[in-house]
Amino acid sequence: MVGTAYYLYVAAILFGIGVLGVLIRRNAIVIFMSIELMLNAVNLTFVALSRQLQSIDGQIFVFFVMTVAAAEVAVGLAIIISIFRLRGTVHVDEIHLLRG
Amino acid sequence: MVTVLFAIFAIIAIASAVLVVAHKNPVYSAIFLIITFFCVAGFFFLLGAQFLGIVQIIVYAGAIMVLFLFVIMLLNLRREVRLPIGRPFQVVFGIAFVAVLVVQILFVIYQGFVSRPLPEGPTVPASLGSVEALGQALFTRYLFPFEVASVLLLAGIIGAIILGRKKLPKEF
Amino acid sequence: MVAEMFPILLLLVVVMAMVAGMFVMTHMLGPRRPGDIKLSPYESGMEPVGEPRTRFSIRFYIIAMLFVLFDIEVVFFYPWAVVYKKLLSQGAFILIEMLVFIGLLFVGYMYAWKRGALEWE
Repeated sequence: MVGTAYYLYVAAILFGIGVLGVLIRRNAIVIFMSIELMLNAVNLTFVALSRQLQSIDGQIFVFFVMTVAAAEVAVGLAIIISIFRLRGTVHVDEIHLLRG
Repeated sequence: MVTVLFAIFAIIAIASAVLVVAHKNPVYSAIFLIITFFCVAGFFFLLGAQFLGIVQIIVYAGAIMVLFLFVIMLLNLRREVRLPIGRPFQVVFGIAFVAVLVVQILFVIYQGFVSRPLPEGPTVPASLGSVEALGQALFTRYLFPFEVASVLLLAGIIGAIILGRKKLPKEF
Repeated sequence: MVAEMFPILLLLVVVMAMVAGMFVMTHMLGPRRPGDIKLSPYESGMEPVGEPRTRFSIRFYIIAMLFVLFDIEVVFFYPWAVVYKKLLSQGAFILIEMLVFIGLLFVGYMYAWKRGALEWE
């Protein structure tokens, strides 16, 4: 039986790596992947604490986080595709004009 | 046994997460992200949340990664491969900021769990995390979020179709 | 928990060992006599023209995206189907809430249909 704290450590490290990806990568798709990584880390925290607190609520939250993530990925990637069609790049430093 | 599995999953998850961020080619990033998702599903199984583990594999490792790979293929990112990482000061500040953040979170977890352990160790009943327990809560107490989720999915369908079209037809 | 998952774990280990074994064995046992013709992509076909990575149609993307969203919808059905009989004894409420859920998503489906997102031009 592994203690809850160890799961939280792993989740914190995964979350940190996700934040790092958002900060240093300049490719919009990889930034999006890093956001998914952060969502997964938070899900892991929810499930670990759901076991710790003997409550199903955390797992329900994870279920809804997955739903939101799927909708977010579909719309977000559609936005990235239309930006690429408009500007010919997904490099976020080159997408700096507010008016397309 | 569980400890060994946990260690294996943790090492693979963290290593492949680092490679997601560090690898130059977005296609490889996507593959490593799949590996991380599988490891998180493994954690869910170890924590007794079987249904969420299955959903994690079906939805994340299956569907969402297919979508990512589609977009990468669609955009034909040959030029983007050349310039993967931001400017040097961005990298330095990013790593410093993240190091501070992670150390803070780890310290808080240590304070909360290890230095002041809970009175009794958790004993997991086998029913927690089963599909039945989850459904029971989802369709009684969490009824409203469940219905709102369908509105969210509807918005997702409409938004993605509108944004994904080449050009908007006039009659609509 | 792990005790009941043990067969799955065993299967996983056996599958991985088998795949790894096949790769290693073919690498070690197979004879290797490469030649110009053997190394060409299609031995008796056309020479390939252009690069393998070309952009393909946006149509594939819209289909894949709709699949993801309806996949999530199906995931909600599993717990519903498991608890359906138990909760139906307390009234038809569980049936109604699922009908509302499906009804809202059916609107999205009709929109995709009318908009022509499902058609392959």
